[in-house]
Amino acid sequence: MAKQYYSPRNLKFLLHEVFNAKELTNLHHYKDHDNASFDMVIDAARQIADNILHPAYIEMDTNEPQLKDNKITVHPAVKAYLKAMGDAGMIGATYSYADGGQQLPNLVQVAVSYILSAANNGATMYTGLSAGAGRLIASFATQELKDKYLPKMLAGTWQGTMGLTEPHAGSSLSDITSSAKLTETGAYKIKGQKIFISAGDHDCAENIIHLTLARIEGAPKGTKGISLFIVPKFREENGKFVDNDVITAGIYHKMGQKSTPAIHFIAGDKDNCEGWLVGEANQGLKYMFQMMNEARIGVGLMGAAIASAAYYASLEYAHERPQGRSLMEKDAKNAPQTKIINHPDVRRMLLLQKAISEGGLGLTMEAARYADLSEASANQEDKEKYFLLLDLLTPIVKTFPAEHGIRSVSEGMQVLGGYGYCKDFPLEQMARDIRITTIYEGTTGIQSQDLLGRKITMQNGKAVMLLAQEIMQTIQEATAFDDLKKYSETLQKELGRLQQVIQHLVPFAMKGEYNLFLADANLFMELASLIVVSWQWLKQAIVAQKAILSNNPQGDELSFYESKIHTMKFYFAYELPKTKSYATRLLDTDVLTLTTEKELIF
Amino acid sequence: MKILVCITNVPDTTSKIEFIEGNTKLNTASIQFITGPYDDYAVSRAIELKEQTGGTLTVLNVGTAETEPTMRKALALGADDAIRINAEPTDAYFVAQQIAHIAKQNNYDLILMGRESIDFNGGQVHGMVGQMLNIPSLSPVMKLDLEGNTAKMLREIEGGKEYLEAQLPLVLGCQEPIAEWKIPNMRGIMSARSKPLLVVEPASPEMLTAVSVFSLPPAKTGVKMIAAEDAASLIALLQNEAKVL
Ligand SMILES: Cc1cc2nc3c(=O)[nH]c(=O)nc-3n(C[C@H](O)[C@H](O)[C@H](O)COP(=O)(O)OP(=O)(O)OC[C@H]3O[C@@H](n4cnc5c(N)ncnc54)[C@H](O)[C@@H]3O)c2cc1C
Repeated sequence: MAKQYYSPRNLKFLLHEVFNAKELTNLHHYKDHDNASFDMVIDAARQIADNILHPAYIEMDTNEPQLKDNKITVHPAVKAYLKAMGDAGMIGATYSYADGGQQLPNLVQVAVSYILSAANNGATMYTGLSAGAGRLIASFATQELKDKYLPKMLAGTWQGTMGLTEPHAGSSLSDITSSAKLTETGAYKIKGQKIFISAGDHDCAENIIHLTLARIEGAPKGTKGISLFIVPKFREENGKFVDNDVITAGIYHKMGQKSTPAIHFIAGDKDNCEGWLVGEANQGLKYMFQMMNEARIGVGLMGAAIASAAYYASLEYAHERPQGRSLMEKDAKNAPQTKIINHPDVRRMLLLQKAISEGGLGLTMEAARYADLSEASANQEDKEKYFLLLDLLTPIVKTFPAEHGIRSVSEGMQVLGGYGYCKDFPLEQMARDIRITTIYEGTTGIQSQDLLGRKITMQNGKAVMLLAQEIMQTIQEATAFDDLKKYSETLQKELGRLQQVIQHLVPFAMKGEYNLFLADANLFMELASLIVVSWQWLKQAIVAQKAILSNNPQGDELSFYESKIHTMKFYFAYELPKTKSYATRLLDTDVLTLTTEKELIF
Repeated sequence: MKILVCITNVPDTTSKIEFIEGNTKLNTASIQFITGPYDDYAVSRAIELKEQTGGTLTVLNVGTAETEPTMRKALALGADDAIRINAEPTDAYFVAQQIAHIAKQNNYDLILMGRESIDFNGGQVHGMVGQMLNIPSLSPVMKLDLEGNTAKMLREIEGGKEYLEAQLPLVLGCQEPIAEWKIPNMRGIMSARSKPLLVVEPASPEMLTAVSVFSLPPAKTGVKMIAAEDAASLIALLQNEAKVL
């Protein structure tokens, strides 16, 4: 298998040179950190990835979890991984000191998760879910519940899960029917079924803690009647752990990310399942949504990470595989074969992969930085500003690296030709693994409606205005460099195009014509993504250009910076022009999907 | 128990090595530096011994300011303090002199280091330090246990292994499986910031050797794919091209 799955140099570039992680340490919340501590955390992640995760990547796919006698066994590397992450204090590193964390900025956490995910994306589900479930407890539960659950979840001995989906309620969570009834002990009797619950049961954790959505008896219908509960697999009674009537009814046989079981569980079949309310009654969905930005950024990041691993695997192959002759070879019969990296079409595929994976990673880190600034900025105005920016970017961060990551991995497979399609190389596994990222944590359809239907219009478009200001700042910076001027002008025009489309669509919402407003939300997502990712590339190119002009880099270092500028140019030349076709479609009121009768689809 | 571990700051093995300035200097800009892997074993075992004996652990590096992240990592793993001797470690004798100079002032019971650094792979420093301090030095040590003042060791020798016992103080060059590499935890990383890192100037700046020019091995050539059933072509290539048969 390819040795390289990410570029430490690129990570350093993004973390320190583009996003200036050190700046965050000026904020009180992060004051105990410095660049050296950030680098050490990243190095610790690399060690875990190199020693535990990467070597087990293929094996965990081949030996998928097994369900026998209602028990699930998973690959033993899961245990080693959970222990290493728990011992290193990395599961809840971003949590506050009071909740058992080390107040690590999300920006650095993204770098950590990126390394781990690039090494073995499926395995990181275990820790990602514990961190997400724990975060709900840390944010909304009582101190007593925190004390009971957090230390073990953060140590990696108990597994956290997200128990949202039910057989008839996936995208539409307001339709869940799991129920909860208060008992005299203060606990609730829980009854219901959950499906697709990742890491929902396995033998490498001593207990499974489901953060479960359910309705308290008599609660209002719809979203306003959903509460959040802690439902453990084993509950404590008189100092002993007893079965809590949560039965694993089935395991899904998935296309990818096979290292992590997705299960179907039934709670309260024997009327003996207890759950504990987190926060206030009927606030469950609100709590979940507050935490969703983090989980969604995590999924987008996973897309970028898998795309990165696929890029390095196909790059290595392209350097080594001789096939065919150069288009300009005059003596084709006698000339030796050339390496496939010398074919322009292979270079196109490689550049596209680089543009998507590094652009996607940059975008994810930008969102993480906004999350840090919204959490820790000293004044309220900044907090709000960065929260709005984060909220606006989140659906794009979830979607772009996922949708385009799939494309990117597919191009990676194409670089390997027939070998790419076979198990001899990891590309086919990566192609299967990344596919889920557009489905869970809200499908692309749902993200697109969130972007256009909620985020663009919130506070009368304030978030879009703030984002436009951020993009304009980059555009202005770029004009200072002769070589980048052309691209800054292009981006400014594209920003105008986005505004034109928004101005065309929003009036439909004001007239209550939501059909016309949101029918092509997915295409709007594509349009917005192209512009936002181009902005990220221009940002990276500015930093590279500055470094070339002022640091006199040599050899590989110079090539590194030049490749950043070149990839920016590639993205602007090969991808960005696609905005025109999206805009043409979005500005046309003749929306065919609205007029297509069911009978016309057969 | 006072333990000193000497660590090197070396390019990661996956780094692409490139020379600049007429092949006289390593291009460090694009290189990821790490603790020498053998030194990492020494640090890991030293931490375990420190915990067992309730002793102290100092790490030392002869190097310029750029090596401080490597020292901070050792502090994060559990060392109590660090000493950096502010000089380029280009000559083994010079480095050994610096270590011996510090060791003479501090009376360490145990001085550990890697069996060799992975940049120049000299493997000489532990022997020289032992000589300079007039105490035994052994390498490569694969196992180390302490019973009071006695060190029980397993050492790799030509064609086999030997079990040894010796009295402290000792200088040892370590290799796997003396301990498993440790990963610093978040708490350790945060507390490393407040642990002392002393910078001292070199004692007697005497260099006996200097590198005049580097050269790289020939670049790797392309891979040839041969079908599994076509052993004849493989043999022909191994004979005629690779010339290994
Ligand atoms: C491997 C895996 C792991 C998972 N892990 C978890 C987990 O840990 N916890 C958990 O709770 N859930 C988990 N899920 C569930 C996942 O979040 C849901 O599958 C997802 O939200 C989609 O729901 P659904 O499958 O019911 O599809 P549906 O909601 O039925 O969607 C089907 C299609 O219809 C579209 N659609 C639906 N509603 C609308 C609408 N209003 N407007 C436009 N289009 C719409 C969707 O975009 C999609 O294309 C997991 C799923 C999988 C496959």
